[in-house]
Amino acid sequence: MLRLTLRNLAANKARFLMTTFAVVLGVGFVVSSFVMSDGLRSTFGALSEDITAGTDLLVRPTSEFGEPLPLPEDLVTEILAVDGVDNAEAFMESAENELQPIKADGSTITTAGPPQLTFAWNDDTEIGAFTIVEGTAPDEPREFSMDHTAAAKHGFEIGQTYDFVTPLGVEEDFTFVATTSFGADNATVGATLMHVSLAEAQRLFGDPGTVQQIAISVDPGVDAAAVANDIAAVLGTTTAEIVDQATVTAEQKAEFTEGIDIVGNVLLGFAIVSLFVSIFIIYNTFAIVLGQRVREMGLLRAIGADAAQLRRSVVAEAVIIGVIASAIGLAAGVGIAALLTAVFEAVGAELPAYPTILSARTVVLAFVLGIGVTVASSIAPARAAAGISPIEAIRDGAAVTPENGRQRLVRGAMTLLAGVAVGSFGLFGPGLGTLALVLTLGSAAVLVFLGLTLASPAVARPLTAVLGWPVAKLMGTAGGLARGNASRNPRRTATTAAALMIGLSLVTMGYVVGESVKSSLGNLIADSVSADYVIAGMDEAALPPVFADELAASGQFEAVTGMRYDEARLGADVREVTALDMGTIDVLFDIDLEAGSIPASDATDVILLHDELAADLAADVGDTVPIEFVSGHTADLTVAGIYADATIFEDPLVPDQVFDAAGAEVADEWVAAVLPDGVSTADLAPFVAELERTYPQVSIDTASEFQQSFEDTIDSMLLVVNALLALAIVIALIGIANTLALSVHERTRELGLLRAVGMTRRQTRRMVRWEAVLVALFGAVLGVAAGSLFGWGVVSALPADTFGGSLTIPIPQIVQVVVLAAIATLVAAWLPARRAGKLDVLDAIAH
Amino acid sequence: MTVLDPPITSLTNPRPANIAAGAVGVSKIYGSGDTVVRALDDVDVDFVEGHFTAIMGPSGSGKSTLMHCLAGLDTVSAGEIYIGDTDLSGLSERDLTLLRRDRIGFIFQAFNLVPTLSALENITLPMDLAGIKPDQAWLDEVISTVGLGDRTDHRPNELSGGQQQRVAVSRALASRPQIIFADEPTGNLDSTTGAEILAFMRRAVRELGQTIVMVTHDPVAASYADRVIFLADGRIVDELHGPTPESVLDRMKSLGS
Ligand SMILES: Nc1ncnc2c1ncn2[C@@H]1O[C@H](COP(=O)(O)OP(=O)(O)OP(=O)(O)O)[C@@H](O)[C@H]1O
Ligand SMILES: [Mg+2]
Repeated sequence: MLRLTLRNLAANKARFLMTTFAVVLGVGFVVSSFVMSDGLRSTFGALSEDITAGTDLLVRPTSEFGEPLPLPEDLVTEILAVDGVDNAEAFMESAENELQPIKADGSTITTAGPPQLTFAWNDDTEIGAFTIVEGTAPDEPREFSMDHTAAAKHGFEIGQTYDFVTPLGVEEDFTFVATTSFGADNATVGATLMHVSLAEAQRLFGDPGTVQQIAISVDPGVDAAAVANDIAAVLGTTTAEIVDQATVTAEQKAEFTEGIDIVGNVLLGFAIVSLFVSIFIIYNTFAIVLGQRVREMGLLRAIGADAAQLRRSVVAEAVIIGVIASAIGLAAGVGIAALLTAVFEAVGAELPAYPTILSARTVVLAFVLGIGVTVASSIAPARAAAGISPIEAIRDGAAVTPENGRQRLVRGAMTLLAGVAVGSFGLFGPGLGTLALVLTLGSAAVLVFLGLTLASPAVARPLTAVLGWPVAKLMGTAGGLARGNASRNPRRTATTAAALMIGLSLVTMGYVVGESVKSSLGNLIADSVSADYVIAGMDEAALPPVFADELAASGQFEAVTGMRYDEARLGADVREVTALDMGTIDVLFDIDLEAGSIPASDATDVILLHDELAADLAADVGDTVPIEFVSGHTADLTVAGIYADATIFEDPLVPDQVFDAAGAEVADEWVAAVLPDGVSTADLAPFVAELERTYPQVSIDTASEFQQSFEDTIDSMLLVVNALLALAIVIALIGIANTLALSVHERTRELGLLRAVGMTRRQTRRMVRWEAVLVALFGAVLGVAAGSLFGWGVVSALPADTFGGSLTIPIPQIVQVVVLAAIATLVAAWLPARRAGKLDVLDAIAH
Repeated sequence: MTVLDPPITSLTNPRPANIAAGAVGVSKIYGSGDTVVRALDDVDVDFVEGHFTAIMGPSGSGKSTLMHCLAGLDTVSAGEIYIGDTDLSGLSERDLTLLRRDRIGFIFQAFNLVPTLSALENITLPMDLAGIKPDQAWLDEVISTVGLGDRTDHRPNELSGGQQQRVAVSRALASRPQIIFADEPTGNLDSTTGAEILAFMRRAVRELGQTIVMVTHDPVAASYADRVIFLADGRIVDELHGPTPESVLDRMKSLGS
């Protein structure tokens, strides 16, 4: 029996090559997601160790909640005096892109990629982990250094002066004094790493007299734990803790890993979609190839092979294909990882260099998945083929009898309903954790897809007839025959189309959700924001604290306010609180006040609550709520009003004075401004342009640009999603071409007849290509329908007060995708069509 | 007439006007070296318009090969094939296809019909492929003569073997080709059904002036023809006019097959 299995594989090489290809791509994608995340994890793991290499102990501030307050600088001297301490230095690190050097050509380094970070220089290069490559340490005001890789890349030269974008505006003439190396190899993973003196760091992104952390090295041979105890005593009442190097490294690693895991899991998710899609293709290939071998099977049964033997022989074929495909997929995975890395780089999200790691886990998983998927998809066809009676098979024209169509339809409908039920539970049921939600919705999608595939043969005939009508009209007889061919074997059409259906349904869902959110947000923003300008830091860069004041002072605006966020304990829980100029709320926003009134700008110790929060706190207008800040500052705030609109604010709103008194966050997250009546944004364009020159890190959007930037964000997310779904769609198209090639082979005689009675090669090719397009369109129609359903579910499940919950079906985009898929199908069908056109008429008739 | 102009007309070698198709010194050699097979060996034959010719001969004598060469489905190793006065040897693949579509009809032993098309669609297929509107009166006449009646909307798998062959015959007739080639058209049918088909083919020749060339093993089938040509080892070895089953059988016996 094994010999027969091997012979079969050898005889159907071309047919199985296509099958293998589908598995290879699926497995390859899975492998690539592991190769990338393993590689990145190793790179960042090494980085975590580099960062803390010379530090034995670290003192850092703590707080019960929120962002802790910095440490007093004097603490450094006190720690230095502790026995066993070799050295202690301040550690200061800017926020990402908080400081941006301006290159000689006047441009800044892009903030879209790896971050730009600035540190306070440590003279102790053990502690600092940085060494000078060339030049002298930046210890004077307006001096800076940069890691030598970034300096070379961006053209910074020692001795020259450069301007800097700082939170205080653009500052001129910083002298570039040194190039540095991070660790031995300057493994910056693409970031731009700069240093200034401690005093400059305090001035530019800290506070005078304070430091963020204190890094400590102990004397050789001294027990670090004992020294830590002594230092803890020195800390006294300061809210701070002391941790050792291992802890810091582990935390750092965990933080990096979290980010890498997210990327890795997203990739893995898409890889699983691809693998799922390839199941349908493998299944189809097996079903068709076995259908063609039905006579041979019958003969084997007649001469004494039992059904189990036949089944085993087919499954053995599947195992062999699975093994080969997994092995190739493993290699392909490394290639796909490189490709994805290049794609990331092309879209501006450059990944750091990482080693290629094929862990045992990856290898095992590749084989388990590859073989598992192949064998699983061969089981049903194997059973059907082995189940035929010998006499049935030997009788002329016998085919594997398909199971009862009605039964199939019922099973499909039930599976579909089960999927919808599970999906509804996931979307509308009790709040599930992320993983549980993903698993619930994932299995709902799988059930829906299986249900549709089972049930869709019932509609394959009428639907392809309708879809084929224009084709038959426009393409003449070849079109008519294509239409007939597309509907002649509904099950085959349905399974072939299923792969494309899955890919396109996910694309459609993305579009529906994206467009719905866009239009809902658009409406909400139009309703609730009357500000003319919305201003925020570019790419998450911090907004200079002086910015809002400068705008207000400019006299160009009727009202300006900055929005500051910080955490505070309100009632029993810690929540995010927003501080702003209360008096401007009425002019800038429509927060839909339900009760009370909006206080004036000079009101202190008041608070506005969103109605849900008010209900939570059981607070009404006129009640007082206690608030406690990170600094320990407390106040009793009187509820001035309760609002309902959650588009912009959901936080409790307090006057700026409350934050100022509490020493809470000083930097604005964003700023809103409105022009006086009669002044248009066009009138203000020169002023805005000037501001943008002074603060290049700030993006000043008009209300419509603000809305546009939301839309752009959603669009670019959709782009990434669609790019990742592209592989699944490519697999689906290969599947269509594959099925078609098998069908052409199966219909050789018929093609010969057509050619004999006068069908030209071109007509033959056209017939095959349009059959492919019809199958693709069938899948597309189902996919768009299913995707719209998914999209509707997701949109309905989104909170109505933030995303609006109104459904938009972006027909132009969907049509565009469907047309693209149809064109791609024409291309994919080129080979089988060519083969059909090239058939030798006599051979074909004699087939 | 809906027959298109011949794609290429031979001027140098004018053919007699009433010859629908013919072979001049045709040889067909398969393989090379030791395995060479001379399937046709210097065959000269003409098929007169409005005649029904049967080709007979033992298995492997070259009947199908001759028919395939005549129909432009296969190329000859030597000699010339004419359809009307068109010399096929100069034609491209595409011209041959168009010639088959417009001027030749086919009836095979089995698998004559496209399963996805209805009987009527199968009948009009060559004309549909050419983008020509069939002559409705003629079509009705053909269909009623063949006796398909109301079954023209059925798919081939809903028709009996005999009905399928009737459809195939109708298709061959519908576009009024210059010549129809039939390779054992009744080989798969029982004798009664076969007789009906053959009678119908003869009527098409007598009443409609159609030219038909048919390959057969069956002396009874051959007796429906006006003339029988006997092949052996790729050569025409005998010929019989006005055959009866008995005379055909006699001749076959004398040829030792
Ligand atoms: N493609 C081919 N390659 C090699 N030899 C061939 C090929 N086709 C036919 N032959 C040979 O040519 C000869 C004539 O074959 P042909 O099919 O014309 O016979 P036939 O008279 O139609 O026989 P039958 O009555 O069995 O159909 C045979 O010897 C056959 O083996
Ligand atoms: Mg023959």
